Amino acid sequence: MPRAAVPWLLIGPSLVLAVVVIFYPFVEIVDLSLHDVSPFGIVRGFVGLANYAGALADPVFQGAVLRTLEWTAAVVGGTVLISLPVALVLAEDFHGRGIARTLVLLPWSISLAMAAIVWLWSFNGDYGMVNAVLQQVGLIAKPVQWMARGSTAFPVEIGVGILVSIPFTVTILVGGLASIPGEIYEAARIDGAGPFAQFRWMTLPLLRPFVTIAVVLNMIYVFNSFPIIWVMTEGGPDNSTHILVTYLYELAFRIGQPGLAAAVSVAMLAIVSAITMVYLRLEEREAA
Amino acid sequence: MKPGAHGSAQAGVRRRPLIAAAGSALMLAPLAARAATSLHVTVAEYSNATGPYFMQMAKEFEAANPGVTVHIDVVSWDTLLQTLQTDISGGVTPDLSIIGTRWLLTFVKDGVAEPLDHFMTPAFRDRFIGTFLEPGEINGTVYGLPIAASARAMFYNTEMLTKAGFPDGPKTWDDVVAASRKIKAAGGYGFGLQGKEIETDVYWYYALWSYGGELIDKQGKAAFDSPAGIKALTLYQMMVQQGLTQPGVTDYTREDVQNLFKQGRVGMMITAPFLINQIAAEAPKLQYGICPVPRGTTSATYAVTDSIVMFGNSHAKDTAWKFLDFLFTKGPRVQFNKNEGFLPTIKAVATDPYFADNPRLQVFVKLLPVAQFAPTVPGWEGMAQAVVDAVQSVYLGKATPQAALKLAAEQADRALKQG
Repeated sequence: MPRAAVPWLLIGPSLVLAVVVIFYPFVEIVDLSLHDVSPFGIVRGFVGLANYAGALADPVFQGAVLRTLEWTAAVVGGTVLISLPVALVLAEDFHGRGIARTLVLLPWSISLAMAAIVWLWSFNGDYGMVNAVLQQVGLIAKPVQWMARGSTAFPVEIGVGILVSIPFTVTILVGGLASIPGEIYEAARIDGAGPFAQFRWMTLPLLRPFVTIAVVLNMIYVFNSFPIIWVMTEGGPDNSTHILVTYLYELAFRIGQPGLAAAVSVAMLAIVSAITMVYLRLEEREAA
Repeated sequence: MKPGAHGSAQAGVRRRPLIAAAGSALMLAPLAARAATSLHVTVAEYSNATGPYFMQMAKEFEAANPGVTVHIDVVSWDTLLQTLQTDISGGVTPDLSIIGTRWLLTFVKDGVAEPLDHFMTPAFRDRFIGTFLEPGEINGTVYGLPIAASARAMFYNTEMLTKAGFPDGPKTWDDVVAASRKIKAAGGYGFGLQGKEIETDVYWYYALWSYGGELIDKQGKAAFDSPAGIKALTLYQMMVQQGLTQPGVTDYTREDVQNLFKQGRVGMMITAPFLINQIAAEAPKLQYGICPVPRGTTSATYAVTDSIVMFGNSHAKDTAWKFLDFLFTKGPRVQFNKNEGFLPTIKAVATDPYFADNPRLQVFVKLLPVAQFAPTVPGWEGMAQAVVDAVQSVYLGKATPQAALKLAAEQADRALKQG
């Protein structure tokens, strides 16, 4: 066997897998996006870029693009900000740490749809526990219909998004903290660095690659995250909580425009790739 | 999308016909050699009783027709469109499927539905109540048979409405407003207004039609932004603003409003006959009456059918027809209608004492002459979504009825053109 063939032989199976599960559907989606497709999936005719033009001109699409960016930034930002201190605490050695770690990670095992349903009930205007608690503490005089308008529903959804992203992020960060050798802290203490200085000038820079991973992976997950918003508001009322992925689902499977939906999904791929690349490039530059 | 006639939206078990079909095809391969026929039927889940009912029908049919196996796939309304999309674009369709009648035109346009005329004898045709057969007809050819039908009427809480001075329910929208004011003063919610998810548009069509408006004109263009439409939406807007409805209407699906009604917290709501069964099961003590949809300038209601269709590439059309023929006999139909709380679609059921002597169901039956069916037009779903957005923006106080309806009509026209 010629030497050059060996690497190809070794990566062959995964290449085939990638072509089958990634490349083929991708080509299909691009193909669909260039056609007029009936609500039941029959391809009617080539329309060129008409689906893309239709999506771009659609105010709901434009709103969804902005809201997707808002949603991604808020959820990822909030998650990292909360996860960092949680990870720092969990990395310390204290009595009952095992239980605390388990408790933080436990929500990970609950499906997103399930978590969203539970929160939907909690925020129910008539019998939800959130209203009950707020009324008892005297923060609100009468029940708030949280899901009735986008201005309250969307922040609630962002909150749920943050909560369900924490376990994953904490795991990455705790792993990162464990990889920092303890000796350098001893050295720093001898040199007179206080806890804040240690955090600012040692922990944070050394944790940086892990924060980057957490941000990038969360960004991709959250950007494409469907269940929370769909379960809680289905993008409504009046399209005020649609992000791109819920909008494309509505287009494809509710309104019955698979061609348009395919165009939106190609646009989504382009956006998320662009954001990720820009972020990684910035990170590289800063690290250098 | 759940078409109108569906029952309470319990999250159903979703099975994937594609996989199921592939699986059973493998299992049946040796049997096929012995000329066995297998039939695949996709049914939409109206309630918990739907699946068991069709399984039972399949068993009875198999017993009467040796050599035939019937596979029932129960799909929830939420995923039915998606399931059929996968089946049709993959070329692996069931033999029969329940669909929302308004999808039928697209089915015919795409050439996936089998015309049924050549199976239908005059005697078979005569079994049906004519009104319900019409929606399944496209250009004079029958493609779908009415498996489920419902109309809408107003349910009212007798105690609340008696106190408000309308013991027999409101007759007009003015009555609704007057009664709601009294109910509000007594601490209840007057008019239950649906503002979220499926059929949010329909809830407004009731008022639109009762003021003589129409959805689509003869040229096939959106016509709901008429003076009648504005009047109807202004009425709902006023009731929302004055607190005559439950608060936060855009957080209430039809099921949520029905729940308020069962709890005795809302005075009036408009919905389908299946609420009768639900109240009997969940709130048997509730005192309520049923009256026609309130009048504006005229009397109107919404009627809707779901159809069962045969797919053109079925390999067992004759057997499939035999199964349809069996489903549309008196016994199976009576059972189905009792289970689901729908209106009779065949004459033999209508004369059955259960329906003929049921005063509550008779309110719905009597409304049928003034009932509006959802027009069978391509692009209906797109139009419905535009209307939902419009009424929600008005309920939320973000737009005036005039502006919202004008915008929705433009969007609807685009959707109707596209199909």
